[in-house]
Order: sequence, then structure tokens, then C-alpha cells
Amino acid sequence: MKNWTSQLPNYDTESRRVHSFDRRTLLVATGAAVAGLATLPLIRRANRLTEPAFVARNQRYDGQLEQTIHDGLIATGFDPARIKGKSVLLKPNLVEPTRKCPQMTTHPAVVVAAGEVFRRWGANVIVGEGPGHMRDTEMALIESGMDEALRDAQLPFVDLNYGEVGWVANAGGTSPLPGFHFPKHVIEADLIVSMPKMKTHHWVGYTASMKNLYGVIPGIKYGWPKNVLHYAGIPQSIYDINASLPNTVAVVDGIVGMEGDGPILGSAKSMGVIVVGTNPTAVDATVGRMMGFDPARIEYLSLAANRLGPVDADCIEQRGERWESVAQPFEVIDDPRLQLLLDADLRAT
Amino acid sequence: MDVAKETIARLESAETFGYHADSPSATEPVALSAIALISADRHARAATLLHWLVEHQAEDGSLGVNAEQTTPCWPTSWAIVAWALARSTPVADLKFAKAGQRAVNWLTSVQGELIERTGATGHDTMIPGWPWVRGTHAWAEPTAIALLALRHAGLEDHPRTRQAAALLRDRLLPNGGMNYGNTIVFGQELRPHVQPTGLCMLALPAESLPNDRIHKALAYLAKRLPQTQATASLCYGLLGTAAWNRLPNDSQSWLEVACRRTLDRDPAPYKLALLSLAGRGTACPLLVASRTMVTP
Repeated sequence: MKNWTSQLPNYDTESRRVHSFDRRTLLVATGAAVAGLATLPLIRRANRLTEPAFVARNQRYDGQLEQTIHDGLIATGFDPARIKGKSVLLKPNLVEPTRKCPQMTTHPAVVVAAGEVFRRWGANVIVGEGPGHMRDTEMALIESGMDEALRDAQLPFVDLNYGEVGWVANAGGTSPLPGFHFPKHVIEADLIVSMPKMKTHHWVGYTASMKNLYGVIPGIKYGWPKNVLHYAGIPQSIYDINASLPNTVAVVDGIVGMEGDGPILGSAKSMGVIVVGTNPTAVDATVGRMMGFDPARIEYLSLAANRLGPVDADCIEQRGERWESVAQPFEVIDDPRLQLLLDADLRAT
Repeated sequence: MDVAKETIARLESAETFGYHADSPSATEPVALSAIALISADRHARAATLLHWLVEHQAEDGSLGVNAEQTTPCWPTSWAIVAWALARSTPVADLKFAKAGQRAVNWLTSVQGELIERTGATGHDTMIPGWPWVRGTHAWAEPTAIALLALRHAGLEDHPRTRQAAALLRDRLLPNGGMNYGNTIVFGQELRPHVQPTGLCMLALPAESLPNDRIHKALAYLAKRLPQTQATASLCYGLLGTAAWNRLPNDSQSWLEVACRRTLDRDPAPYKLALLSLAGRGTACPLLVASRTMVTP
């Protein structure tokens, strides 16, 4: 008998595969490693002492989102020339969409705007997601409004739950998982744009761009929910997935977020912000402060601190609006574990 | 539009049987396509798929998700159903019977990890069911498919069959329907979804006195199905209602819309097989036996 956080090293999805590469898996993984190394300087700068995060206020879903995302990427050091002719995968959060709860999932307008930004820079843009709680990806697209929006924008969608997979070694090493079966589209992407919703999360505190990348893990190999990751430790597997993906930037939909019993059942929280950055750790730490959390107490961020990016506010260069000017504490459920994650000083002000 | 004719014609001529139109063959769509072809008396094509399943069975009786990924093995249940339904047809083959028995032996040896109850979750975490991935907890859909497989294999009275049914009844949401398998977390009831609700209702055996949650699950499907456009959810939802003699009157017209959408966008064998099976209504071979009529 196990509890939720126990670590089982012998999942059948891992144990039999790790010693049995087929040629295609090997080629895909090797190609990804080469591609990752070649473009490593593009994004990953974890050895830098500081990283920027861009905050835009007064944002609306019918507003100038394309301009905001463009400005945010440029302000945080993204070089558009490096992505010309390359493949960009936009990864929204469509964990369990329902029309009744639009605050649960990334708004289609933000995804379409990001798609336009990267297309104007000459990239080949696709949108991909592996919904975590729904086997029927078509249903997730329809319920989230993404289906119609992507068709109108002529942005192709790839189902990350059922596609071909390749094996990538676990570069993080904090969970017992020796590696990950990532979808081919993820492995082959030159850049992954994590596009989460700003939400509370009743297991880990809050979710932003790093936790959102659970959605690149294919359900066909890990289940619905992706329970293998839960057994491996949620914070540890979040860190390991992020450490194992080569090039990731973040565009956070914080126009309407979710507070209370997130990530599924919480209430809408109007913030009017978009947060952008080339370092997801710095972005997520900034998002947490805006929500009234102390990011240093969030376990996956404490693992990522100074490995994948900075969490300390002094090491995050604020671009655009200062986060303090738009901060509004998010309500969390009445659970002592979560109360410990809050920044009492920030909430008092 | 004749949904059955359109879907079966596509399945007969398909070169691969995957989740999307151009994707490689995978165990679940192969098995579902075999079942659809058997039920349409396309025995020769069905036989090739049944043999594909035999060829991809591991020594221990399990089948992985596709030819390259030998784990996890949750689609083994679908292969059992396909081989079982071949028994009384012209494609009956001792090979299929033996493969089915080995698969059943494997299936009954697997169960989800039990979890100490903490109060954070509402479901009974101590009922053995089936996980998606060995070494993890039991969830709704793999348990429902396993239940369907055991019932088609003639093991209605097997202890694991009873456990599977108990788990599914426990995971039905108090206010109607089912999701991936969580009911209440931190005191809040989660939302239902059409596909797992339909699959659960398809798999559950008849009850002389259906409980309140069965009634509510059927009521949930009746309310949601008219608005459900997505093919797999619609098909599983309709199969669930058909299993309890509650098939909506408009089901064929909904299937026609879904079929057009599927053919237009993503004529995946997985969806075509589901459309074909759902289109057979109460005559669908996935239905194990007719249920007790549920009084509204």
C-alpha cells in the first residue's frame, strides 16, 4: 500500500523501455539532443546571475495581445532572428476544459496572438497539448473554444497524448524516473512556449509555466491522470520535465486567473496581466509573488532555483510593470500545507 | 448519410489503424476496428486485425499500446473483447481463443496500487481495480475496459469482475456522471465527463435495483449528449445509454453530424470504429447483455 507521495521506481512504462531502444526512438532522441545542444545558448541561461521577467497590465482578451507578447519577448532578451524557419510549439493548458469554467484553461486569444508573433518572425508554429484529465482531446478543444479559434487562425494542432514518442533521459534527476517518453513533436520543436493559466493548485500551491509542461507528457504512456508523475513526486517531476526540455519560454495568461480550489474548481480572479519571459523559473517566481505566494516555499521552484533560473526577487530583472503594482493575493483553500506557502507580509500590504 | 456504410468502407480500406488519420496502428484502435468489422460481417478484414493483435501479444499475455511501445498494457482488455467476439463467427480460430485466455490470465494478475485513505479524496482508494500504468493507482477507464473484457470472456462471477464493478460504482459522482476517476477532492465534487461516464455505463453489469448514482449518471448523459460534438465522447455516451435501454431518439442524427465532421477533419480508424459501433445502437456487440430497464 502506498501513499500519494511514495516513490515507486519500477513503473512498467519506464522499466522495460529504458533498456530497449528501438532505432526510431534512438534516432529521435539523438536528434533532439543534437538540436538541443545546437540551440542551447538561445534560451537557457541558467548560469546567469539574473533573468528578466516582463509584466503587462490592463490586458484584455480582445486587446492588443500580439503587441504585448511581442514586446514582452523582446524586453526579456528573445532574439527573433534565431527562430526564423524553426519549429515553435505553443503549449496551452487544456487540462479538463468546460465551457462553464473558462478560468481553468488558457484563453484561445492569447494562444492565437502568440502564434501570430512567432509566425511574423518566420517560425513554423504548431499548437500542442495532451490534456491531463480527458482522453477525448477533440472534446477538450471544443469545450475550451480552442478548436474554433485555431481553425480561424489556421494554426495546426497536434495531440500530444497519442502521437509518436521518443525517449529522453531525465536531466533533472530529482525523481526516480530515469527518463521521459516525450512526444515527437516536443522533441523536435526548436522552441516550446509554455502558455499556462495563472491558477492556484491544491497540491503544489500554484501552477504556471513549469507545471503546465505536465501536458507534454503523453497520456497513452502515463495515463489519465498522468499518475506515474504523481507517484514519482509532483514537485520533483515538474522540475525534471523542465530540466529535460531544452528550449522553453513562458507566456502566462493572467488576464483572468483562478483562485481558491484550483487548478480545476476554483473561482475566476480578474488580474488583467500577461507575464512573459525567456526563463520560466523567473517568470513563475514573479507570477507567484503577484498571487501572494512566497515562491521560495514552492517545492518545484526551490528545486529549480539557481539550477534552471532565479527565484530570488533580487535576481529577477523586472521589465514592463513592476509586479508589486499589479499584485492581488489569490485565495487558497483552507489547508495548512497551502497556508504555509503564502507570503504573509505581502498579503498584509 | 449512412454512418455504418461510410465508416465500414473506410475501415475496410484503411492501411493503418491509429488514433489519427495518418498515425501508425495502435492496439486499441486495431481492436475496436476488428470489433466493428466483425459486427458488419467483414470477416476477412477483421481476421487480419485479430491476427495483428496475436502477433503483438507479449509472452506474458499482455499487449502494449502499439507495436513499438510494449508498455503500458492497458489496451490488453480491448484485445480480449475482440477475440471473444470472434468466437461465434466465421473468423473463429483456436489461436484467438488461446491468445484471449493468456490475456485474461495477465489481466487478472494486474491491479492498481491501493492507497491509504487520507480524507483528501472521496473515493474508496482500497478497492482493487486497474491502472493505466502498472505500479500506479486504479482509474475509471482502464477498470471499465477491464470489466468489459472479463464479462465478454464469460467471467461474470470472477472476483475481479465484482471488484471492477464495485470500483466503478464507487467512482460515480454523487451528482451524476463520472470523470477520470476522482469524485471529491478537498471536499469539492469534481466535474463529470461524457466519455468515461458512457464507458462506465457500457461496462457495468445489470442491477435489479440500480442505485441512485446509476440513475444520475444516465440522466447526466441524457442532458449532455445533445450538446456533445466530439466523436469519441458522443459514441461512448451513446453506447452507455444503449446498454441501459436509454438510447436517445436523435442518436442517429447526432452520429451523422459527428461522422461528417470526422470524415472532413480527421478520419481516424479509432473514431470510425467508434462511430460504426455506436451506430448499431442496442445491437452493438460491445453490449454484453441487456440491462434491467431503468425506470426514469
